[in-house]
Amino acid sequence: MNIYRHELKSFAKSTIIWTCSLTVMIVLYLLLFPAFTKDIAVTRKLFSALPKAARAALDLDLDTFFSLLGFYSYLLNFVVLAGAIQAMNIGAGIISKEYRFKTADFLLSKPVTRTKVMTQKLLAALTLILATDVVFISSALAWAKIMIEEPFSAKIFLMLSAILVFVQLIFLVLGALFATVFSRIKSVVSVTLPTVFALFIVDMIGSILDAKNYRYFTPFKYFDSQYIMKHAAYEWRFIILEVVVIACCIAASYIIYLKKDIASVT
Amino acid sequence: MNIFLQELKANRKALFFWCFGMILMVSSGMAKYGGYKASGQSVNQLISTLPKAVRAILGFGELDLSKASGYFGVLFIYLIILATIHAALLGADIISKEERDKTSEFLFVKPISRLKIITSKLLAALFNVVVLNIITLLSSVAIVDYYNKGPSVNTEIYILMLAMFLLQLIFLAIGIVMAAISKNPRVATTKATSILLATFILSVIIDLSSKIEKLKYLTPFKYFEAKDLIKNLELDPVFVFLSLIIIIFLTCSTYLFYQRRDLSI
Repeated sequence: MNIYRHELKSFAKSTIIWTCSLTVMIVLYLLLFPAFTKDIAVTRKLFSALPKAARAALDLDLDTFFSLLGFYSYLLNFVVLAGAIQAMNIGAGIISKEYRFKTADFLLSKPVTRTKVMTQKLLAALTLILATDVVFISSALAWAKIMIEEPFSAKIFLMLSAILVFVQLIFLVLGALFATVFSRIKSVVSVTLPTVFALFIVDMIGSILDAKNYRYFTPFKYFDSQYIMKHAAYEWRFIILEVVVIACCIAASYIIYLKKDIASVT
Repeated sequence: MNIFLQELKANRKALFFWCFGMILMVSSGMAKYGGYKASGQSVNQLISTLPKAVRAILGFGELDLSKASGYFGVLFIYLIILATIHAALLGADIISKEERDKTSEFLFVKPISRLKIITSKLLAALFNVVVLNIITLLSSVAIVDYYNKGPSVNTEIYILMLAMFLLQLIFLAIGIVMAAISKNPRVATTKATSILLATFILSVIIDLSSKIEKLKYLTPFKYFEAKDLIKNLELDPVFVFLSLIIIIFLTCSTYLFYQRRDLSI
């Protein structure tokens, strides 16, 4: 349990900063909602005048699109982007720090198995991510309840927010796997930032171009907010895909970490 | 000169991957253009009637997607994100890595002034940034030309890439200045990328509400927008001036701070 506690402590500061920034971000975003509704009052009229076929071509459901939930789900994209960076930073950082700070000898000569080291590190990372998410989601919901006068479904609000958790979990294990495979990471951010942004760009470009199969390639699109708002449910295929990806990454990380040659400090 | 060459060598593999990524992005993005053009026309007219915030949310902005130039303009936003990430990471890394990898004792006892060391490092970083820009430019011209059936859009691409170059320089400067002023060399990249992320998210917010339009001076991502560049075929002189001031100011501060830096060993 010592490693677990130690890791929690060493990542506490950065997690607090991340949590605060994410929360401030959503608070500011939601402040914009009244201005946004004013802007779109005209659009709503314009839209309802359009023929049904044209609306279908744009693939828009008026009520969800202009509601708080529609607005929130758009902004959540960017929270999730930041969250993914945080998660991958923790995942890759927590594994690679022994190499970066030249402490692998110290840690691995202690009477703990590598399995235990890995387990405690992953658990610590999981705890940090979940702590961030709990604080973020509860403050977002509370702030939305206070700020926004129009009624909205708290259940769907939470279901949308849970996208953050799912995406973070994937990036956490991706980061951990990456750090076990490539042991010589000197700077964590230079690895995680390009990876996360590349997948995010695949998501953005894919949704503009309306490509069909790109969703499988980017974790950002495993959970489609439009679908969630319409059906109040997640898509099963992608839940299964998420679980499979996470399980594979964790299993691979353990297997590689248990067998790999960890160079000692010279 | 040795330091310059050494830095080029150290960054050569990363540069290769970044260039590869850029080419991949331009080609995969443009590949969809052919399909889009056919169905895009009618939807496009519809879209142009929507207010700014709604278009932003749909991801269209104010570009005419049925034209090759407008379509490339949409890709441009993502190209600059990648290029600025590269620049910020490179800038922060190239200065801070000596202390991080504990090679500063080796380098700084050599008979060369700090001024020279920084200058060589900056030139090496500049070289990398220029190469990435030129590769993106060449691949864009070639790939867009391949899909474009209308009039040539090379001028538009030149202007867009010039804007991208200025943005790259801004974030390169942010990277190096963060490395020069941070006490702990390890946090330099984190700081530089936090600025990048924050300014990017600010630029997203500005799209949503016309009330906070004035904030655009705070985020370089709003200095040069594809829609204006394509329409006017020139960079807004106010923002060019602002960019140059930022670049010069940050570079000078880097020299100033690094000259007096107490190197952590």
